[in-house]
Amino acid sequence: MSSGPPDARVASPASSQGTRTDGSAGGGSIYDLGYRHYEGVRLGRRHAILALYVESLRGAFGLGRGAAAKIAPFVLIFIALVPAVIQLAIAALIPAEFEFVSGDDYYSGVKYILALYAAAVAPDIVGRDQRNRSLTLYFSRAIGRTDYALGKLAAMTTAMLIITLVPQLILFAGNALSTQDFGAYLAEEWDQVLPILGSALGGSLLIASIGTAIGAQTPQRAFATVGIVVAFLLPLVVAGVMVEIGTDATVYAAFLSPLDLVDGFTWWIFRSTPDEFSTVALAGFDLWAYTLAAVVATVLASGLLVRRYQRVQA
Amino acid sequence: MAVFETLDLTKRYPAVNALDELTISVEPGVVGLVGANGAGKSTLIKLLLGLIEPSAGSASVLGYDVRTQGRELRQFVGYMPEHDCLPLDMNATEFVAHMAQISGLPRSAARERTAEILRHAGLFEERYRAMSGYSTGMRQRAKLAQALVHDPSIVFLDEPTNGLDPAGRDEMLDLIERTGRGMGISILMATHLLGEIERVCDHLIVIDAGQLRHHGPLGGFTGATQTLDVEVTGDAEALAVHLERRGVASVVDGHHVLVSIESEPPFDLIRDTVAELGVGLVRLEQRRHTLEDLFRVQGVPQEVAEGAPEREGAPANV
Repeated sequence: MSSGPPDARVASPASSQGTRTDGSAGGGSIYDLGYRHYEGVRLGRRHAILALYVESLRGAFGLGRGAAAKIAPFVLIFIALVPAVIQLAIAALIPAEFEFVSGDDYYSGVKYILALYAAAVAPDIVGRDQRNRSLTLYFSRAIGRTDYALGKLAAMTTAMLIITLVPQLILFAGNALSTQDFGAYLAEEWDQVLPILGSALGGSLLIASIGTAIGAQTPQRAFATVGIVVAFLLPLVVAGVMVEIGTDATVYAAFLSPLDLVDGFTWWIFRSTPDEFSTVALAGFDLWAYTLAAVVATVLASGLLVRRYQRVQA
Repeated sequence: MAVFETLDLTKRYPAVNALDELTISVEPGVVGLVGANGAGKSTLIKLLLGLIEPSAGSASVLGYDVRTQGRELRQFVGYMPEHDCLPLDMNATEFVAHMAQISGLPRSAARERTAEILRHAGLFEERYRAMSGYSTGMRQRAKLAQALVHDPSIVFLDEPTNGLDPAGRDEMLDLIERTGRGMGISILMATHLLGEIERVCDHLIVIDAGQLRHHGPLGGFTGATQTLDVEVTGDAEALAVHLERRGVASVVDGHHVLVSIESEPPFDLIRDTVAELGVGLVRLEQRRHTLEDLFRVQGVPQEVAEGAPEREGAPANV
């Protein structure tokens, strides 16, 4: 929106028109332009959400902040990249076809890192403004509470994509390079690209929504971090044990563990077979059921996040 | 036209009526909002910004209804909260430019306006330093800068001098004065310090326990009284006695003789009497009302209202 508000300005000598101060006779003149009002466009809500998204993402990686803020996220990104980089190195050194890690097994290999990364980044994205008590500065501007929550969720999802999608793309390139015929691999495996994108986006959204929903509940960074780690890892262990027990009732515990949902959903989207020792395989449900449960969990967590910002005191 | 209007605006909390059927219409200018801690100042500002919902009544700011047109409205208002709200790990430029964008300004315009407003706020030299290294005064000025960067038509300042030392207080009041008069931005400034109001405001709103006590131009409060203040060195008592004898009612207050005046002030008579008695005349002026008088007359209590939802830091020192 670009139209201004009804004019409510105080008449002031120095606003709008400049005042002229004559210099000495025959000399130049100094023009005091005074304060100039902003006459340009005001882009409103959508622009505000985009600005919030960009700044949240930059903040998550410590960009525009001190060096200390950059350490944790970059260390975890580095660790997540290790399997992919090893695959690349193997591809470069051993001129034989050898898949160290494949796309559909990637998440089950790095799931602890995904949880730790979410626990490191989410408290920054959703907790910072609460810690600084700057929410009030946002909500007194062109941005609503729901806008704010969704902007933060988008930022967190993008932050997750950096750790889910980028290594997968490196893996894809690494696996392609490890074959004798690069072109043939690309032609043959081209149908893997959509599942790679889909699993990265779905997994990121699920982890981001749960991470932010928990992280936003408290301004305390330490509590948020511990809460997120527990929310991902405790169900993982519990589901593992319950499924191992293997009665008709206990196997349903597999649906309570977000990281197992990511596994099941990823295998479903790649149309591949679960790792035989995984919780997903032992529980024995159809893979679409994990996908459905992942969608439900994402919606619930996003709702919880939005609700938190509806209620939090600004 | 009014910069903001309220009609029976009410905010109830379980324990207290923070604002009780407030009806007011305020013209552009620099307006002081005075009241004791817990009187409802912050509540009024938050209601006008749409940060909290009214329990009853309505309000409009710049012609926008705060309930239904809040989002449009908030592009044109600025708000400086009372509490700390700065991300201290950022520098002032990054932070203020970000806030400008959240108000809807395009990126390049946000950068330009940020430089200009930080210069106005006296933070230009320090604009690339992390705000964690700022003094309290500098932080307050950064808070003011973020409230002004998008060129609002009205800015709400909640206790802008809180926590500042006398020099910092002076600087902040100067800055507010320049903002209101030099930049032509309407200001509503909540404070419990009457001296600040007298210095920068041209209108005054007094609220107490959520109710409007007074609203009007500051001149009306500080107009001349019917008392002539004669300050002398030496025997004030003798002067008073002599004046009484010549038919002028007067009261002694230390070195001051306060003379009631009904029509023309008896300047010549006083001069002659002073000369006769050989006392030194320091000052001869018509007394003006101070805001303290107003508070005494209105009986605004200065203690914190029990159980009020507002939290305000510094004690009242009126």
